[in-house]
Amino acid sequence: MSITTRTSFSALRERALDELVVGAVGAVAVAAFAVLFFAAPRYAVFPAVTLALAVGYGWVRDQAVTARALTLLATVSTVLILGLITVYLLVKALPTFQRMGLGLLVGGAPYWDPGSDVYVLGPMIWGTLVTTLIATAIAGPLGVAGAIFIAEIAPGRVRDVVKPAVEMLAGIPSIVYGFIGFNLINPAMMDYLEVSTLGSLFGVGVVIGVMALPTVVSVAEDAVTSVPAELQDSALALGATDWQTIRNVVVPASFSGLSAAVLLGVGRAIGETMAATVMLGHVKEFPEPFYNVFGNTETLTTLIASQYGSATGDASFTSALFAAGVVLFVTVLVLSVASWRIERRMRARFGGEQ
Amino acid sequence: MSDAYDRRLHRGDGRGGWPSLAYAVVGVGLLSALFGAVTLLDWLTLSSGVGGVEMTTLYGAGLTVAGVATVALGFAAWMGAYETDARERTGIGEGALAGLAAFVVVGLVVSQSLGAGGAVWFLPALLVGAATVFLVGLAPEELGATLPWAALALVAGLAFLTGTFSVGWSWSPEGFGFAFTGIVVVPGLAILTGVLVAWAAAKAAQGFGARGRQAAAYLLIGANAFLMIGLLLALVVFIALRGAPTALEGAHLGPGLSVQIPFVTNGGGLGVEIEGVYPAIVGTFWLVFGALLFAVPLGVGAAVYLSEYATRGRFTTVVDVATDGLWSTPSIVYGLFGYAFLVPRLGNHSSIVAGMLVLGFMLLPLVLITSREAIGSVPEAYRDASVALGVNRWQTVRSVVLPAALPGIITGVILGVGRIAGETAPLILVAAGGLNGRAVHVLRSFRFTGTPPYVANDALLSATNALPYQVYAVLEAGVGGSEAFGWGTAFVLLVLVLCFYGVGIGTRLYFRGKLER
Repeated sequence: MSITTRTSFSALRERALDELVVGAVGAVAVAAFAVLFFAAPRYAVFPAVTLALAVGYGWVRDQAVTARALTLLATVSTVLILGLITVYLLVKALPTFQRMGLGLLVGGAPYWDPGSDVYVLGPMIWGTLVTTLIATAIAGPLGVAGAIFIAEIAPGRVRDVVKPAVEMLAGIPSIVYGFIGFNLINPAMMDYLEVSTLGSLFGVGVVIGVMALPTVVSVAEDAVTSVPAELQDSALALGATDWQTIRNVVVPASFSGLSAAVLLGVGRAIGETMAATVMLGHVKEFPEPFYNVFGNTETLTTLIASQYGSATGDASFTSALFAAGVVLFVTVLVLSVASWRIERRMRARFGGEQ
Repeated sequence: MSDAYDRRLHRGDGRGGWPSLAYAVVGVGLLSALFGAVTLLDWLTLSSGVGGVEMTTLYGAGLTVAGVATVALGFAAWMGAYETDARERTGIGEGALAGLAAFVVVGLVVSQSLGAGGAVWFLPALLVGAATVFLVGLAPEELGATLPWAALALVAGLAFLTGTFSVGWSWSPEGFGFAFTGIVVVPGLAILTGVLVAWAAAKAAQGFGARGRQAAAYLLIGANAFLMIGLLLALVVFIALRGAPTALEGAHLGPGLSVQIPFVTNGGGLGVEIEGVYPAIVGTFWLVFGALLFAVPLGVGAAVYLSEYATRGRFTTVVDVATDGLWSTPSIVYGLFGYAFLVPRLGNHSSIVAGMLVLGFMLLPLVLITSREAIGSVPEAYRDASVALGVNRWQTVRSVVLPAALPGIITGVILGVGRIAGETAPLILVAAGGLNGRAVHVLRSFRFTGTPPYVANDALLSATNALPYQVYAVLEAGVGGSEAFGWGTAFVLLVLVLCFYGVGIGTRLYFRGKLER
């Protein structure tokens, strides 16, 4: 909040000439850098140096304005990066969309034949769907129950140990899970559950569920603790037990936050790459029969990670991988916007009551 | 806390020894589940099912006794042998659960024993299930809450004792590519029925009613939490057990007080006695360093602008959506973007710089979100006091707000580094390659060139190894790779990442404690 508000033009008029010149030079340098980095990266060094000089001058001359301009630049670049990612994915995937049309999603066998430029993402989408469902079935209920435990039931000292422990365990890298899965879970499933192939959607789903669990627990715990104490106290004043309060007051009140937590877990499960890549056998077909969760197929992420090597040099193959990336990106974006809206609505609902 | 527990005027009022019996059943049920879980893990960690047969008899005995005791508890309560707060009817919720269990059990038994294919089992199972729902739902709570689960435990226990499920047993459902085998089914059933009978007995122990249901629910939730923590701890311990011997091979206290760990300081390749992951560690270090250099100024700068200068409007909404989108984008998509956008502009092959930038893109939303939170949690009073002293906005930010928010920002950065240090997928696409033979020497490779861009660094433009990629490479090498080497690398990676996370969470707790005081 500034004490006086001015329009941008009258503010500009009050600036000295050298400040305006340096400001203009800086702005042009930024634009030039962007353009040159696209077109001819070697020459982008020129606007970069110019920008550095302009910033240096501006810092000495009027630090406040320079700082504001720099931070604005940083903010714009965040939006720019997301825009670039979207644009580049779409541009690279366009040839595949043009060639395959809707058949990309719903085409029939053969599903994946780089030799004859046939790319159908049906089995991969199915694989992603199955593994995500299994992972959510594990991470959702167990995660919410764990969050309720941490937030409501655990005594203080237990909570101080369990909560950081769960957050730390969110950090185990996915390749490590994949290593365990490959060396332990796959052989064990073959030996003891008589699964016929090395790798199955079920095994991958279980591993991804365990990976998504700490995420769900953390976010759900935030949601549960944000339920106002007044609601719980009123229930207790009416003679309810703690469990009745939790079941009938806390959970419904934090339901939006809990759904947001589960959606975040789902988003994490969909985007999981490395553990699935090393655990699955890469068969690009629907399992026989299609509901066989112990079958061995691809997911969208493992497709990209495993086929990347064979795709270098083959433009249409690469484009097909980008198409898979677009499907992935759009799905996760939709989920994240949905969970963000839910969380915003929840905050609005409770913010007003305080 | 609710005071609804201590309504009795004095202890032992009207209950006699029955609660103790109930607690004993809870203990037996939980023990059975615990042993079942440990046996399953034995199945995972060792390759023998040796203890299986005798354990089956133990499970059988324990579950049968628990089942009988629970039945006794139910009937005793119903006949008034001890005082309870049981409801008139068990209710549709528990009835539905019992019906579901009956449906599954009858379905399995019918399809197994009659052997007929198709859906012959469906109708009898449905009928029995529906009947159970009504029977249990309309029964008095003392009976409805205990008998179904006691029956399950009895059936399982007797099945174990009579040797129906033994090590050699196996059943393969149609259409699914797997089989239930005895080695899995025995501990699995022990866990399931043990937990269920403990659940029923917990209700009895607290006299049914609201208190009983609370005790039972808390039992389940507590068991779940115990399971989660135990599982995740077991993971870490397991990796340590498998990886530490390789990683610490040849480690010794060197000259003086220094510690020499060859696994961490050696490279790979021929002629090296103990192959190490030093090049991978160096690669990870440079990648993370570059990512930090890119993401921290951008993220903190953007956070400062959004918190201090911007007014809520369309622009901030767009930035919020963009941040959220960046935060939730899968790592492989970042890899694709780097491959499409960065790699052609940085030499048309994998390079460290491309990896740095891609990891920087991934780190940016993390830093941005945590910095915004940190800056937002600086009290307004600080800013007001600064304005009252006549200081302009930027100087306030620089000398008051940022130092106050610094702990939160640092915590966010540390946690973000922990996350990107373990990322593999984007590296596969843009940065990985290079053998484990030699570490890159970035600092030594700067040189001036005659043409733009006038400064070049061959090391930065070459592909590199990194810890997570090294683990992946071991798996990709298949038979040629060494599993022990992979475990050692995974162990080092895990230690590194957990250190970052531990320090980050520790600093967050420390500073939050300071703020609250």
